[in-house]
Amino acid sequence: MAVALLGAITHQTLAAWAPARNRPDSFFGRFRAVPSASYANAIVVLYAVSALLGGILYLDFRVDIRPDLERAGHWPALGLFDLKEHFISIGVALLPAYWVCWRRPRTDEPARTRAALTAILAFIVWWSFLIGHVANNIRGFGS
Amino acid sequence: MTSSHAFRSFAFAYGTAFAVLYVVALKLDLALFTVYPSLGVVLLGTHHSRDVAGPSMAFLAPAMYWYGWTATAALGALVFGLVAAFLPERWAQRVWPGWLWVVPALAMIACVHLTLPWFRL
Repeated sequence: MAVALLGAITHQTLAAWAPARNRPDSFFGRFRAVPSASYANAIVVLYAVSALLGGILYLDFRVDIRPDLERAGHWPALGLFDLKEHFISIGVALLPAYWVCWRRPRTDEPARTRAALTAILAFIVWWSFLIGHVANNIRGFGS
Repeated sequence: MTSSHAFRSFAFAYGTAFAVLYVVALKLDLALFTVYPSLGVVLLGTHHSRDVAGPSMAFLAPAMYWYGWTATAALGALVFGLVAAFLPERWAQRVWPGWLWVVPALAMIACVHLTLPWFRL
């Protein structure tokens, strides 16, 4: 689910910031030639479900994994993980506005607003994916 | 007032207000509730282990505040969103739409600032 979200938000972000002109003839051109607005519903659902599942898994992380990381002194990793929590919450709250910007755009609304909003969500998704993996794998480092 | 205008105003106000209120909740440690996952207990308000026992209790019964901070911000933002939904459309049109992404971006930077102590340990 997280990988599907990563793919969708990355497609949409690139298409919003660097839309393909004419007929794309390269991989990168085709990658950003997607109809951005059509991704919005899927991204909202995938983000919300991923956040919900992450919130449930977080209970086990707090009990089973985090104490080990604290005892091992992995404070920077825990700090990065805390940032992930904060960013995800802010991202969830932005979903209704994000959906409105893409699915109910107003003619006088600058395209930069939805592009910036999409970039923020993309950053949060990538951050969460990468830091989540680091926190998950860190116990294996050096062992 | 149309329903699409009301929802648009609600969504924009909710997202912006949440970002601000989340930082406030984080800074002031205002969790609506505290979760103790190992005990299966949820207590209303912010509770730290030193309130009831020695600090070492934190290892035995770790507390979680993230859910509570999120709930605090969500509740506050809901109020702002509902108020915004009932404002006249001409008022909403005066608000710069860029706040919708500028405020969350600043809130994320503020979260980084508040998390810096972790990197100095």
